[in-house]
Amino acid sequence: MGQILSRPLISSVLAMTLGLGTGCSHWIELAVPTDAAPPASAMVDTDARVPLLLETIRVTHNGSSIAPPAVLERQVLGAIEATRLFSQHYQSGSTQPAADQARVTVRLSIDNLVEPHAGQAAWRSLVLGASMFALAPFISLNYDYGAEMSLEMERWDGQIKRYTATSKGSAHYHLFGASPDVIEQLKGEVTEACLSSLLNQVIQDSTFYLTSNEQSHGNPIRTVSVGVRRPSSHALPIARPITDASPQ
Amino acid sequence: MAALSSPIHAADPTPQITVGTQEVGLTAGYMLSLHFKRNHTTEQEGVAFMPSWMMTLSDPLGDSWYRGQVSLGAELVYIQFQEPILTHGFGFTPKIKYTFAALDRIRPYAEFAGGPFWTDLAGKIPEESSRFNFVLTAGFGVSYFLTDRVALNVGYRFHHISNGGTNHPNIGLNASLPFGGFSFFF
Repeated sequence: MGQILSRPLISSVLAMTLGLGTGCSHWIELAVPTDAAPPASAMVDTDARVPLLLETIRVTHNGSSIAPPAVLERQVLGAIEATRLFSQHYQSGSTQPAADQARVTVRLSIDNLVEPHAGQAAWRSLVLGASMFALAPFISLNYDYGAEMSLEMERWDGQIKRYTATSKGSAHYHLFGASPDVIEQLKGEVTEACLSSLLNQVIQDSTFYLTSNEQSHGNPIRTVSVGVRRPSSHALPIARPITDASPQ
Repeated sequence: MAALSSPIHAADPTPQITVGTQEVGLTAGYMLSLHFKRNHTTEQEGVAFMPSWMMTLSDPLGDSWYRGQVSLGAELVYIQFQEPILTHGFGFTPKIKYTFAALDRIRPYAEFAGGPFWTDLAGKIPEESSRFNFVLTAGFGVSYFLTDRVALNVGYRFHHISNGGTNHPNIGLNASLPFGGFSFFF
């Protein structure tokens, strides 16, 4: 008798556990850019590096201009800093490099494309509610996010190089797995991937941003490895503060 | 060495309700009978408590006055019928809500909920014969955000209880339900 009762009980518990587990799930898909170049790296003379000034960041959100979030500015500067291609890093409005000092001026444009599939979410909500949440494990909701970045880098002598990169991804989640953290993680991963692609192109032109210092007699040449620090597979949420990673 | 500054971020007073933001609501109201049919004679009245949970499932839709967000959740309903006889009712209703987000701290919303409802008022009045019923509510309200995470809500619901034809008679009970409460967003 006990066995007869326990089978449906175990099946029910398993079904509920599976349903709840699936209903709470979420995952992120990051599209690999078709124009992704292999990671570049180089050894450069430490003394040939110049300061960098991040002059402007222009951000649009589905075509509408928005004020760049402070965390985004820090993320961009942090990513540039991590390449070790420049000796110092300045932000417009903060301390500036000396007027007569060679520098590279950076202007960044970021166009964010957000597709929250709000209409789809509304209809699927109706279906989920009508099913008393029984369909929650089977109906997923979607959020797409893309970034197009254009980087303009002006050398101290007025020469300009431009770089572009795109990246996009999607977050998929079930009703009970929805969380602002999922969306922030998606935005963080897409932004990191786009920045990495952009800076990888800059590293390929690394000699363009170096001064040709003559080595003083008796001093050994000090070099530093420059390259894009690849984000981990678990990319950080965009709101994470950037720690100081100044080149030594 | 690097000239990075760390800007001080002031607390943003604007409610930041995004996809995945959850809302826990505590709502209470008083039910007053509405008569649309001649054979609905019972003057049912009573207090109602409706704790709820909602999940925001969309960023704001639209760009005009109707700009708003969809959220889905569930609500427990407890009604203590004080008239005509002291009885009780319990229900569980999935609930969908559209919140107008064009205004800043004042956010009107429309909501719809429906689900099973049990009451021992049935059998003691001519309108309802079975204890197992369904409750359907449709209403509107306004949330005023006291902080970016706490809102005060007031509103009105039309409230209908019937057994969906599972037993006869099934005249049903209609009521007005003005309510007030708080929501906590996290």
